[in-house]
Amino acid sequence: MSTDVRAATSTIGVCWKWVDVEGDPRRAGVSAADQAALETAFSIAASLDAGTDSSTEITVVALGPVAAEQALRGALAAGAHRAIRIDASAHLPSDRVAAALADALDRVDLVVCGDYSADRGSGSVPAFLAAELDAAQALGLIQISVDGRVTAEGAPVVRALRRLDGGRREQLTVTPPAVLSVEGSVATLRRASLPAELLAKQAAIAVLPGPSAAEQHADTIRPFRPRPRVVPAPVGAGALDRIRALTEAGATVSHGETVTLDPPEAAARILAALREWGYLEP
Amino acid sequence: MLLERGPFAGSKNMYGGVVYPRILDQFHPNWWEEVPIQRWITRRSTMVLTATQAMTVDFRTQAWGEPPYNGATAYRPDFDHWLAGKAEADGAVLVTSTTALGLLRDEAGRIAGVRTDRPDGDIHADVVIACDGVNSFLAKEADLFGPGQTEAGNYTVGVKETIALPKDVIDERFGVRDREGVDIEILGGTGGVNGGGFLYTNLDTLAVGVVLKLPALGAQPRRPEEIIADLKAHAAIAPLVEGGTIVEYSAHLIPEAGRSMMPRLTTDGMLVAGDAAAMCLAAGIWLEGVNFAMASGIYAGEAAADALRAGDTSAAGLAGYERRLGDTFVLRDHEKLRRAPGLVLSDRVQHHYPQMIANVVERVFRVENPRPKPGFRRIVREERKRAGIGLRDLARDAWAGIRSFG
Repeated sequence: MSTDVRAATSTIGVCWKWVDVEGDPRRAGVSAADQAALETAFSIAASLDAGTDSSTEITVVALGPVAAEQALRGALAAGAHRAIRIDASAHLPSDRVAAALADALDRVDLVVCGDYSADRGSGSVPAFLAAELDAAQALGLIQISVDGRVTAEGAPVVRALRRLDGGRREQLTVTPPAVLSVEGSVATLRRASLPAELLAKQAAIAVLPGPSAAEQHADTIRPFRPRPRVVPAPVGAGALDRIRALTEAGATVSHGETVTLDPPEAAARILAALREWGYLEP
Repeated sequence: MLLERGPFAGSKNMYGGVVYPRILDQFHPNWWEEVPIQRWITRRSTMVLTATQAMTVDFRTQAWGEPPYNGATAYRPDFDHWLAGKAEADGAVLVTSTTALGLLRDEAGRIAGVRTDRPDGDIHADVVIACDGVNSFLAKEADLFGPGQTEAGNYTVGVKETIALPKDVIDERFGVRDREGVDIEILGGTGGVNGGGFLYTNLDTLAVGVVLKLPALGAQPRRPEEIIADLKAHAAIAPLVEGGTIVEYSAHLIPEAGRSMMPRLTTDGMLVAGDAAAMCLAAGIWLEGVNFAMASGIYAGEAAADALRAGDTSAAGLAGYERRLGDTFVLRDHEKLRRAPGLVLSDRVQHHYPQMIANVVERVFRVENPRPKPGFRRIVREERKRAGIGLRDLARDAWAGIRSFG
């Protein structure tokens, strides 16, 4: 529900994936998309605060070892108000990363993430995070703006443009709380001023405990294998018929179907199809 | 405050050579236990190349492979990062990804800091120590170079390929073990361009390249990578590098002319050190630079601290810098060897003597029975004439050599 009343203050969370790909902290850091996320947050904050006395607070959160604090200091130098490091391995599965981030991002209106990290780049954390926060999600965005409308709680409504396959675009109106993920091309992170850079060297970085060691190692990473499907014995009078039935050789195979459904029904249909095809538990 | 242009100290450095770190003894005893080097040089070879010949003087000592060591190959991103960490531990504030664009001056025109490329990036300082490399914009802006000192003829361009090979292959090819390494300096092998070649062993890479005098390089049509390709294809070099994968290609200017191209090292509020002060020693058999850079940086820091304590950062107040340089190897070696770079890069040393030496050696060891062995003097005389070296030239160069290296 939107009104035209501007909130006194808003909070934007920015989630960074700190990556140490080469095992060398000198070359560790965050992806261009993560940097674009912070600059997007600055841009949203500037729009919200324009002509008002309010100040939108930006909190940057990263999960990783102490070495990740250098990247967070870079965020503070660029203008973030607060930096939080979650003390945990940077190699946790996406759902656990999202759960830890959600704990750290209490009561934020918007969360902006990069849509890929510098290592695996699956872009899955923002979606998990939206689920954890029970927030709307708009992922893979290439343009974000605020139009001045706010929710009854005072949170800003966001207009976003999302890249689709085939050169198509999708325009979204996103009502907070929401998780947004942006492409790296959206913005270039501003260059920190020298005084800010020097101040950030001494700035305090809040450190939160991450998942316990047992939780961190609860899952074993293994290659994805679809579940086996039960295939009924082929029917046919002769061996050739049975082979044809088994391989569907010569048969006209229909590839997929087009259905038009509302989003909840569409999601249910997708899940049903995945169960039918053996990708999910029946 | 320590300004670094790259994202970390050493990230922008291009270097292929041997680091001689003994200057660190006074600050970090047992530095060798932690310094991130590749290999300790225990074999030093000087090679003379012609198109089809190679003569090598090879020296090996195990003494250079144990404390306090002598020289080492190193990756500068590792080495400089380590050094910067030492500076930070001693209280320096390292600001990375920040370039000094120019000098700040006070109302009286005296240098009073630097302007950087960051927003609000002016740094006001009582003393600026310019270590901004071979093309020192700060030293040039301060008008510290004299006429002709920055002429192209005073510079070479060093071009290097880093070639990956397994460590055991390098050990076997170069006859070394563990952290032992080899430094091969080459006279010739530059396709007729005045300069030289080099080949250094890192742990699991080789640094192979050439150093080419700028005007000579510009006066001929071939590109540096073509000259390196020929060097690598030479019969004396190919077996050492074959099968490797090029993992890096880089190039860098080198201030090659030594003392004669050094700028004024001190002015009101500013000192110049390292390559910015042209402190690279390119004296033929001695090829050094990092040790001069480290030492001049140390002495500049000490002199600046003294001047700040005394409250006088004018050129007179900073005079301790040049006094320290003059009392130590930094200027003494450069003074002693001030004629060496010109001699080493001269046409006769570059082109005529290598051919003469190689031909002499080839004939001395050629057995042409039933003809008896020719006399050594006769071979030298004939090959000297064949190489087009007059007796007067020989005498002049011998005298220049004695004066340069004696």
